[in-house]
Amino acid sequence: MSPRRLAGSHYGEWTRGDRWEVDGGELESMKMNSYEPLSTEKRLLHRLVLVASVVILLVVAYYLLFPLNQYVVRLKVATTTSLYATGLLEAIAEAFRKEYPNVRLEFIAVGSGAALRIAERGDACVVLIHEPYLEHQYLMKGVIGGGRVFGYNYFVVVGPKNDPAYISGVDNVLEVFRRVYVAGESGRTYFVSRGDNSGTHLRELMIWSLLGLNPGNTSWYRSCGCGMGDALLIANELGAYTLSDLGTYLKFKKGGKLQNLELLYVNTDDNLTINIYSAYIASRCSGDERRYGELLINFISKDEGGVIRDYGVKEFGQPLFYPVLENKSKFLSIWEWFAYR
Amino acid sequence: MISDETIATILRSIYVSGTATLLASVWSLPTSYVLTLKRRVGVVEAVIESLVGIPTVLLGLLLYILLSSSGPLAPLGIKLLYTPQAIILGESILVTPLMISTSYRVLKNSVVMYSELALSLGASKTQVMTLVIRESLPGVVASIIMSFSRALGELGIAMMVGGNISGYTRVMTTAIALGVVRGEFEEAIVLGLVLMAIMVVISVTLKLINKVYGID
Repeated sequence: MSPRRLAGSHYGEWTRGDRWEVDGGELESMKMNSYEPLSTEKRLLHRLVLVASVVILLVVAYYLLFPLNQYVVRLKVATTTSLYATGLLEAIAEAFRKEYPNVRLEFIAVGSGAALRIAERGDACVVLIHEPYLEHQYLMKGVIGGGRVFGYNYFVVVGPKNDPAYISGVDNVLEVFRRVYVAGESGRTYFVSRGDNSGTHLRELMIWSLLGLNPGNTSWYRSCGCGMGDALLIANELGAYTLSDLGTYLKFKKGGKLQNLELLYVNTDDNLTINIYSAYIASRCSGDERRYGELLINFISKDEGGVIRDYGVKEFGQPLFYPVLENKSKFLSIWEWFAYR
Repeated sequence: MISDETIATILRSIYVSGTATLLASVWSLPTSYVLTLKRRVGVVEAVIESLVGIPTVLLGLLLYILLSSSGPLAPLGIKLLYTPQAIILGESILVTPLMISTSYRVLKNSVVMYSELALSLGASKTQVMTLVIRESLPGVVASIIMSFSRALGELGIAMMVGGNISGYTRVMTTAIALGVVRGEFEEAIVLGLVLMAIMVVISVTLKLINKVYGID
């Protein structure tokens, strides 16, 4: 844009002053070139834009301050990723919604440690978790209470098809890990560790420490600091062994993403591989949210409608989780064994 | 192929990031205009530019602590955590340095080129401002588009303060992350492509508008 046009565009205003009257002739010529007065429509448009932006701002401010719908109870549930990623919680939420349509279940899927921290800060009401040792610590601190063991499944060991550590056929997980250690030390395989302080990771560390082994600094032990899915993908690429929950493995395997991996160790009689899920209510939770939180925990531990029992049967030909129900005392004693180790 | 939930997620993403960008422009654009009028803003400029790359997860964590029920805002009765409004707030803060530093450049150029000239021709301060803004409009629009893209593509804040709650705070990036966790790569890729397509379409549209109604 040229200075000529620049001056011209303000010509209409300036002539109201007196300074430029003397140069009127020259300005007149600019007017011929490019002067366009603001039409009433344009002024109106500018006003409209201004009004609209103010309205938008007010609406945004209003929603920022009063975001809640008064007629719906928001029930925030901090949960471990494995429950959410397999889709079980959505199935439970659907069944729960039929009974309590005025409750909106909001799942915040994070690691076990983070779920407890969120509950501690009062940002979630119900905690669904599978790490007895951590649960015990937070129970002692009084952060969570009203606990119920509601479900369980099994950790499995997966590894490369040709099984360089010879673990298939072994009947306890300690021997499996010992063989993987030997194979790793002799350079025949890798082991992928979650390395993220998740329930699965802590269980893996516990098994190593029960064996009195510490593979942490070896070159065949790869700690990824990642979720279960990522760990499985890495194991698949490396031809490595890893400890996994059954649900994630089956889901990824069925999706055709784990072509080099096989299920090599699964033993329902090995208590060391039992994975127990518990539900708690956060101590800081109160009012309606707490009331419905307790109802939800009750709902889950009774497994009403058999949601937990049936989940995954159609898709994978076997359940991914088992409800605890009447075996409560058995699983409580296993839970305690893990919690007080 | 694309489910209702996916469409809702896409619309929510656009709403959240769009509102965040508008909100950010309310304070960013005036700030950068004011900055152009000041001398010796080198340090401020450097600080703002260095904040452009702030890790979204860090900002998400700080906002989480701020908005948490144990946070400093809790006594005021502000319950924003795990709402779309929290994401809007977070993203508007996230894009502020980007919007200021990019719009500052174009505004500064216009100020250098035209403001003294206009003043010498007797224009008032308001007239100078109108002129500078009109002159740098294409650049400012580009700055807004960039900010929108940054807001639309960020993950950390949406995850930390939104919580990726299905049907409520799930946006495209958190849905992609969930797709990866669940091993549903195909859905994640579809969402990713949609995300890119939206950015391209919006960018091209605004460029066209600029060309039709723009000054140059």
